[in-house]
Amino acid sequence: MQSILLGVDRLNAFIGKLFAWCIVILMLAICYEVFRRYVLRDPTTWAYDVSLMLYGTLFMMAGAYTLSRNGHVRGDFLYRKWRPTTQARTDLVLYFLFYFPGILALIYAGWGYFQLSYMLNEHSSFSPDGPVIWPFKAIIPFVGVMMLLQGVVEVVRCLICIRDGDWPQRLHDVEEMEKIILDEAAAKAEQQSRQEATLTAIERDATTRGSL
Amino acid sequence: MFISDPALGIVMLVLFLIFLMLGFPIAFTLMALGVGFGYFTQGDSIFNLFVQRTYSVMANDVLISIPLFLFMGYVIERANILDRLFRAIQLAAGWIPGSLAVATLITCALFATATGIVGAVVTLMGLLAFPAMLRAGYDTKIASGVVCAGGCLGILIPPSVMLILYGATAGVSVVKLYAAAFIPGITLAAMYMAYVVIRVIINPALAPKLPAEERNVPAGEIALALLTSFLPLVALIVSVLGCIIFGLATPSEAAAIGAMGAILLALAYRTFSVEKLKDSVFLTARASAMVCWLFVGSAVFSAVFALLGGQRVVEEFIMSLDLGPVGFLILTQIIIFVLGWPLEWTEIIVIFLPIFLPLLDHFGIDPIFFGVLVALNLQTSFLSPPVAMAPFYLKGVAPKHVSIDEIFSGVMPFIFIVVFAMALLYIFPGFALWLPNYLYGG
Amino acid sequence: HAQAPIRLKFQSTWPNKDIFHEFAGDYVKRVNAMTGGRVELELLPAGSVVPAFQMLDAVSSGILDGGHGVAAYWYGKNKAFSLFGTAPAFGWDADELLGWVRYGGGQALYDDLVQNTLKLNVVGMLSGPMPSQPLGWFKKEITSAADMKGMKYRTVGLGADLFKEFGAAVTIVPGGEIVPAIDRGLLDGAEFNNPSSDLVLGFPDVAKVYMLGSYHQALECFEILFNKTKFESLPKDVQEILRGASDATSATMMWKAQDRYSKDLEAIKARGVKVLPTPKPVLEAQLKAWDVVIANLSADPVFKKVVDSQKEWAKRIVGFRLEYEPDSKFAYDHFFKTA
Ligand code: NA
Ligand code: NA
Repeated sequence: MQSILLGVDRLNAFIGKLFAWCIVILMLAICYEVFRRYVLRDPTTWAYDVSLMLYGTLFMMAGAYTLSRNGHVRGDFLYRKWRPTTQARTDLVLYFLFYFPGILALIYAGWGYFQLSYMLNEHSSFSPDGPVIWPFKAIIPFVGVMMLLQGVVEVVRCLICIRDGDWPQRLHDVEEMEKIILDEAAAKAEQQSRQEATLTAIERDATTRGSL
Repeated sequence: MFISDPALGIVMLVLFLIFLMLGFPIAFTLMALGVGFGYFTQGDSIFNLFVQRTYSVMANDVLISIPLFLFMGYVIERANILDRLFRAIQLAAGWIPGSLAVATLITCALFATATGIVGAVVTLMGLLAFPAMLRAGYDTKIASGVVCAGGCLGILIPPSVMLILYGATAGVSVVKLYAAAFIPGITLAAMYMAYVVIRVIINPALAPKLPAEERNVPAGEIALALLTSFLPLVALIVSVLGCIIFGLATPSEAAAIGAMGAILLALAYRTFSVEKLKDSVFLTARASAMVCWLFVGSAVFSAVFALLGGQRVVEEFIMSLDLGPVGFLILTQIIIFVLGWPLEWTEIIVIFLPIFLPLLDHFGIDPIFFGVLVALNLQTSFLSPPVAMAPFYLKGVAPKHVSIDEIFSGVMPFIFIVVFAMALLYIFPGFALWLPNYLYGG
Repeated sequence: HAQAPIRLKFQSTWPNKDIFHEFAGDYVKRVNAMTGGRVELELLPAGSVVPAFQMLDAVSSGILDGGHGVAAYWYGKNKAFSLFGTAPAFGWDADELLGWVRYGGGQALYDDLVQNTLKLNVVGMLSGPMPSQPLGWFKKEITSAADMKGMKYRTVGLGADLFKEFGAAVTIVPGGEIVPAIDRGLLDGAEFNNPSSDLVLGFPDVAKVYMLGSYHQALECFEILFNKTKFESLPKDVQEILRGASDATSATMMWKAQDRYSKDLEAIKARGVKVLPTPKPVLEAQLKAWDVVIANLSADPVFKKVVDSQKEWAKRIVGFRLEYEPDSKFAYDHFFKTA
């Protein structure tokens, strides 16, 4: 069971991280367009469409990866203060009430949306030579399936937490600067005195949400 | 059976406020409520609406600059540029009363402007500047207020991701917003500094002078430090901002060039590696997903809210209060200020602001001016308890004897300064509107 | 006890303040009045349910019951769509285009494209003839086709293909997003449609040269769409009213435009904008570019069938008009020309 969970986690992280490199391509593509326009006075016809597609692909494909790292923003001013089992019980109910219906709708509707576009061999309407657009639209149902799988994993995480009384470890990954620093500070504090309650509480405060 | 039960729209909004507190990821709560209420009233067609709204976020060209600016920020943050910057500024500011605090504010403002990532700035400065100030005998409250307030300036001073989000939500020009937020942002930073300097002049015990050997650094050494550590970052920020404000490039183009510049700068400092590039790329993907999925959720939620006629009810209600423009402005700013206690700026801008924005026209309020007021106001969302991320971050890295209450009370005067700045801006709207008007005409 | 009215969600592709949204509103008011309260069209501006460019999908899939826009906006689905809004400049005007729709076989070709080629679940009515559109708004005067080479320019429909032949980088954005796009540097030059819209959308704030009279969109008409399933479920007389009101407002729209466009052009001049005609060399280049565009796109049999039918109509009808009508400028100059 554990290995299937980690497998899904890894798969989504792999996809998310793979498409994360879109940011580098996006940066290079736009810099190239800027060069063509301002230096050669000969702008590309594709830059607009391509940058939209890279940006859209980047954030959509990272959706499940972000969920697997608990990175979607929560309104957590109460949630933070709860015991892990209370958090897990609430999450568990809400995954079924909120998450799965929405994601299933995304898969169902996204598939139809993609199919129609595919049937028409639809091209982008932003430029006269607009590239085909159905592969971009295909991302919606695809991401829906990724999110569905990740949702199942998160549900199991909730169950484990309810059983064990604490959240299971997530896969190690690159972290926000403040999380790294706070973790180090927490570790140091733990060394100095035995487990300082306030610090861990504060740390939990500071790390259940995204950090912008 | 058909639709138009505006009461249902209000129920949906109230339910959202309740469910929000359960701590479930907001993007999915919004999605579920939108799709659920939509299905209940519209039937199957809601699925098409949902997917179309999702697609419209994927095809929103204003949002392209968000991952690019985030990427630029992460590159700068990972490249250990901050220590060099702080050292250089600290050397140069030695002669000013409360020099360490002033240097901290300047470093924060610059670094936060380049990265736009509040958490990183507060924690890094909490490790670097905060202990330095405490060692020098600074008052703990002043020191913590300076780190927290300074660290938040990055979301106000352009180029800022917050203003892009506001631009995308309100449908106003990001370029004009940048021009409008520029002077107020710099002014707020200056007011923070003036506050610190005045307090120190009145009561020098708050910030003892540095030892003479640290104050009397040879001018040549200062110049060199500034030249190598201060100037390059400033040049990067200025060129990115200049390109946007003077219309030489779109925000996305400037952001792409800025990201490229950040990588080159990091390479020049020999502080960059493939590992750090990877970190920045993956963090960018996660942060972008967080923001943009919030947009997806809010897009379907607000479309259903409008279909149900909920928006109209809110508008009619506010109109029935018979407020003038001033009353409306004060009401909305108070609501945003209060929302900032439990919430952070992303949620407020993406979810709650769209409810007020259509009314601006009715009251004859310039959405650019309103945007700058909101951006100022949201500075407090990081600082105000109970959810005050900046103090939390600082507490996490501060020495044990510094209590969270001490930090909160240190931050309080800075919240008042923000409110004062808002009042000032309201009385003199020219602070915000002069630059965009000058650059782009009426 | 009166029956509850049939409520229909009707979204335009125009911003709230645009005169086009007002035209959409005129249609809605007319329908609501003619049905004596049995039908209530509820008008929404672009973006309230879906963005402008997604209105067709939304109507076809039933998210919206109907909408007001132009066929050129569905250009990504099939370029032939554009022929039913903004057709090539064969010397005809938009009124003559609508004549083709009614009496030259245009409607049948339109229905065939929409329902058979694209399998869209919509009923469309073409309505509201527009005068020739300006070449648009620029930072500097356009004196030759070469001036537009490398320029980031906004237009819609086949006009986009036309300016591609000029070497411009054409970006197609909906009406409400043009001025923000110029603001943030995405566009160097742009056209929307007419003095009233251009004034209220804020063009004079971002550009100071306004070039009139271009062949890229020498004629255009609006398109009123309804979801086909919904439309056919309505009582027969209501269906007839929806069509009849489209014809009625087609005429009132044209008359209102005469009044407003002429006044707003004066208002634009009063804002210090330099208003100039599109110079002859640019017009010549446009006609040559039309030849290329038509030849290229005629590779698609659907496109070819429609454009051939249009040519045949334009040849006869414009030929008739030129032979039949006296020169209006001659008379105008006699009465109004000040030396
Ligand atoms: Na707060
Ligand atoms: Na046009």
